[in-house]
Amino acid sequence: MATQEELQALADQEIEDAKPLYKQVNNERMEFSEADYAQAKTDLGNSKWQEQQFGYVQARQEAYGDLASQLDMQYWDLVNDTTTWKDHIAQVKADNPKPE
Amino acid sequence: MAGSLIKIDEEIVSSAVASVELGGTNWDSSYDVYMVKLNNITGSVDTQHLFLRILVSSSPDTSANYDRARKQLKADTTFTNSSNTNETKTYIGQQIGTASNSQTNAIMYLFNFNNASEYNFATLEELSWRQAGNLHGNQGGWVHTVAQASNGVQFYMESGNILSGTFTLYGLKK
Repeated sequence: MATQEELQALADQEIEDAKPLYKQVNNERMEFSEADYAQAKTDLGNSKWQEQQFGYVQARQEAYGDLASQLDMQYWDLVNDTTTWKDHIAQVKADNPKPE
Repeated sequence: MAGSLIKIDEEIVSSAVASVELGGTNWDSSYDVYMVKLNNITGSVDTQHLFLRILVSSSPDTSANYDRARKQLKADTTFTNSSNTNETKTYIGQQIGTASNSQTNAIMYLFNFNNASEYNFATLEELSWRQAGNLHGNQGGWVHTVAQASNGVQFYMESGNILSGTFTLYGLKK
């Protein structure tokens, strides 16, 4: 797990490598100012940190599947005395771990 | 009512740019309500969000004062609620990328932008064909919790460039 400082350094390098960057204002395409580059580095660093720390939430939500499918799994688990739903949820959590 | 939308600014992106600003020096403060239309917005990096910041004196406001509350409707799975407070930007497009047809389209209505005594509010109705090849929509809005006047909005990708799209700002005729 990367520290916030490590992710910021990665973001800084990505922005440096991506230069020149442009903004469109009044239908003119102009290169970023130094302040724009500094903000872009901060934003990308924060974004990487957010993704590392909280990206698992959305990943889990999507992998769980819709509620109807989960209810269907639970019904057949009750009928057949199986653990399909519980196994599925455990697998999703294992595949998308919460950062320590 | 015919002619009730008055075009104030339009930015058509045809070469990659990291950000787009609507309004700013083009802002016309004579309206109470504004509409922003985003059409066919595409990005250069996969699975990235499109973000928004307000412009204050034509500069993006990066302060941690953006709150959002939306219902996210998803064609591939069940809906979710999406909310947060004190962010440094707000979310518009959802995880778009370079996949075929991946894009964001949206309509926003902006309120109180000329009122220095009130928060800036916006409603959001948005649809993204995501990098993953499915449709997600947002219904809700956002607020910038500082009593100040603003004169536009800035859009930028979470990572990479905006490759194409049309950003249009209208005033609603009184």
